[in-house]
Amino acid sequence: MKRNHLLLYVVGVAALLLFPLGITNPYYIHLLETIMIYAIVLFGLDIVVGYTGQVSLGHAGLFGVGAYTAGVLVTKLGAPLLVALIAAVGVTSVFGALLALPALRVTGPYLAMVTLAFGTIVQILINEMDFLTSGPMGIKLSKPPLLGHQLDEREFFWLVAVLMVLALIVVHRVLRSHLGRAFEALRGSPVASDCMGVSVYRYKVYAFVISAGFAGLAGSLYAYSEQYISPNTYNFELTVLFLLAVIMGGRKSRIGAMLGAAIIVLLPKLLDDVVLFRYVSVALALLVLATALIGIRRGRTTVQQMAIPVVGSIALAGLSFWLQTMTDWRLSIFGVIMLFVVYYLQDGIVGFVRSALNLQRPKATEASTVVAASAHGDAVTTAAAGDHGAEILNASDVLMQFGGLKALNNVSLSIRRGTIHGLIGPNGSGKSTMMNVLTGIYVPTAGALTFGGRSLVGRTSSDIALSGIARTFQNVQLFGEMTALQNVQVGLHHSFASNLFDVALHTPRYGRESRAAVERAMGLLRFVGLADLAFEEARNLPYGKQRLLEIARALALDPQLLLLDEPAAGLTAPDIKELISFIRKIRDHGITVILIEHHMDVVMSMCDTVSVLDFGQKIAEGVPAQVQADEKVIEAYLGGTAA
Amino acid sequence: MQILTQLIFSGIALGMIYAVIAFGYQLTFQTSDTLNFGQGDALMLGALVGLTLVGLGLNYWLMIPLVCVFGAFQGALVERIGVRPAIKIKSEFGWIMSTIALGIIFKNVAENVWGRDDLKFPSPLPESPMHFLGANVLPMEVLVVIGAVLMMLAVEFFNRKTIYGKAVVATFNDRDAAKLMGINTGLVITFSYALSSMTAAFAGVLIAPLTLTGATMGAVLGLKAFAVAIIGGLTSGMGIIVGGIILGIAETTTGFYLSTGYKDVPGLVLLLIVLAVRPQGLFGKNIIKKV
Repeated sequence: MKRNHLLLYVVGVAALLLFPLGITNPYYIHLLETIMIYAIVLFGLDIVVGYTGQVSLGHAGLFGVGAYTAGVLVTKLGAPLLVALIAAVGVTSVFGALLALPALRVTGPYLAMVTLAFGTIVQILINEMDFLTSGPMGIKLSKPPLLGHQLDEREFFWLVAVLMVLALIVVHRVLRSHLGRAFEALRGSPVASDCMGVSVYRYKVYAFVISAGFAGLAGSLYAYSEQYISPNTYNFELTVLFLLAVIMGGRKSRIGAMLGAAIIVLLPKLLDDVVLFRYVSVALALLVLATALIGIRRGRTTVQQMAIPVVGSIALAGLSFWLQTMTDWRLSIFGVIMLFVVYYLQDGIVGFVRSALNLQRPKATEASTVVAASAHGDAVTTAAAGDHGAEILNASDVLMQFGGLKALNNVSLSIRRGTIHGLIGPNGSGKSTMMNVLTGIYVPTAGALTFGGRSLVGRTSSDIALSGIARTFQNVQLFGEMTALQNVQVGLHHSFASNLFDVALHTPRYGRESRAAVERAMGLLRFVGLADLAFEEARNLPYGKQRLLEIARALALDPQLLLLDEPAAGLTAPDIKELISFIRKIRDHGITVILIEHHMDVVMSMCDTVSVLDFGQKIAEGVPAQVQADEKVIEAYLGGTAA
Repeated sequence: MQILTQLIFSGIALGMIYAVIAFGYQLTFQTSDTLNFGQGDALMLGALVGLTLVGLGLNYWLMIPLVCVFGAFQGALVERIGVRPAIKIKSEFGWIMSTIALGIIFKNVAENVWGRDDLKFPSPLPESPMHFLGANVLPMEVLVVIGAVLMMLAVEFFNRKTIYGKAVVATFNDRDAAKLMGINTGLVITFSYALSSMTAAFAGVLIAPLTLTGATMGAVLGLKAFAVAIIGGLTSGMGIIVGGIILGIAETTTGFYLSTGYKDVPGLVLLLIVLAVRPQGLFGKNIIKKV
């Protein structure tokens, strides 16, 4: 299987390199070259769009920054090719970081607009700063010399091809590494990423910077390839085309990016040739009709659902015979294609083909090595030895106010190392708020929190997580599109010291860390009894298993203190029994546990100490039996005035 | 000084246009958490349809209600084609793509129907400036300010005082609860899009006599109105007026003292700064996220 893939890659690359020998028409060489350059942009854009799930409308701007960096360096300073390429990547990365700054604070439609504003500013600046960019006149360049040899059209093609293959390998490796998992995690659940020590802020910036780097490389190649750059190229239309290409080709897929690039380069050419367009549109209409008929026959779709695309594609074919020239209506046709992609091709062409042929997504390469991984010991690390029973966490007079509501009203807690501390109380009593305060999601209005001698107030969630507090969530916060194994691996993110270069070059350090992480993750899954489901996507797991997976992920952080927010909710009786046994095991490893739970039998049988909250105040604390007998507690739970 | 006063006056007029478009963003964002990325194109279509109607011999004032009706239909269409299905299939950024797509289509259609060149929109008021505080003010600029304020007041009045308006406000507060109370929230969302495009079309015919009219007039206006909506806060009515005026004045002064080429820059930079420092906007309320 693997050898077949390798063979396929070799054949693909060879075909690419031999292309200009077989087809000598410079028009086609240039066309394929443009496709490859766009593919490089799309590899980068896919990191932002596909993996971190953000919409960027600023990539045409970044592409332009790359092109102009090269253009200006070459015309003003006579910079050689390699300098221009490296400078373009560097400068564009800096712009990417600038773009990411507002992106730290906003997401979704806001971010889309911000990136659009960024792209517009870039275009204006290119237009206006004519001392540098020659303004609307544009810049003329010629094909560069490389190592003293003047490249011709064909040799430059090879250069682009080699760089594209390199870009492909680097992107692929980055996205398969802990960095890629971090990107995907912050899309799946930003809060959970932060609480796993993967700083959402930092990785969003990384994603934009890496993505911008590729846009810069592509931009500089584009400048050489076209030999002429002008501000109007890098407009809104191009940015929308890039986005369309990523989604149409298929997100999270390198083949999808290349396919998307080919479509957006070839489509305008196709629209210029109305006769060819007629053939293609008729073929498309037939294809859609056939898909619809097969779909309806197999019961996958209904007549109503397929009516619009069928009628639409037939109408398009009719239109192409009616119109004499398509050029004027090019943008409308793009618009219609976009609508079509959004509604009927959400997973892109790659996704469509995959689901039509029932292919699975390729599994992580490390997967095969896992099976052989040894089953030594259990994977839960023992917490750093400390005085058993000494105070590990102290909260004093914590006040958390939302407007007029005091969700926590001067609550003090003292948690002793190596114990299981129960936190109970009726709904709305402030238990989860306490968890959020402890993990830095909320900053308390007043009060002090110290963990292991250090204050927690004002520190970020990811910082707190890395200092040894792990948690689960009341509403499960898994990274849904990632497998169970990958979810745990995100928890192990802190165990990686490898940087971007280690990942790109697959240095021994990265190999070592990556193998260790897979083994640990499998060990942790085994610990919670999910080893068989390691390759299942988290969102497909039953609810109870998702809760267990969250615990495994939290344990991956090697915590000193583990916060469990209603771990037994939704579990069946036998599952609860198992849960109790492995929470005990966790405690036996020296990890302190704070347990929020409504199942009283669980709380009472396990906890060393129980604190009871009601309306944001602590009303009782002590050993379980004592708390159970407390009148205030009974009143809080059952209501009425205690006699 | 005289020049500065004049720049401020034109800035205010421009700013009120931004405020009206931004108001349109607020309307849809409040009911459905979505915005029409083609809002600028709604404005452009309003202006061009208005131009055609005036060209047919219709009086400017009679044309306005017709353009408003057209705008409302256009908005409803955007919602039905672009937004509703996208929300239904729970596509993450489907509605962003589809409203952009519709915007592109509208622009392209406009290019093919009205041509690619900018057209002059005949002014309904005398074009000789009035003198006010030593500065020249175009009567049209005064009309823009008055018209914009009236439009916003009318919609606010509708939302606060009528039962249908209460349905809109209820949908804004809690879509699911409103639905359970028997409010047809889908219809409310369609309606908010209709209102939103209507205000944009109205803004289009207001500003058209001051600028040139053409297929490309909408894009930058839409983007800058978004900047205004963000600067003011997506939930604050006062905020967009203040934001609009700040942006309008920043723009006219930059255009005069620096270069007209740079006039779009301050607004966009302001947008980036506000988002980086105070993402809920100058007047917006902070929202607490629940985990």
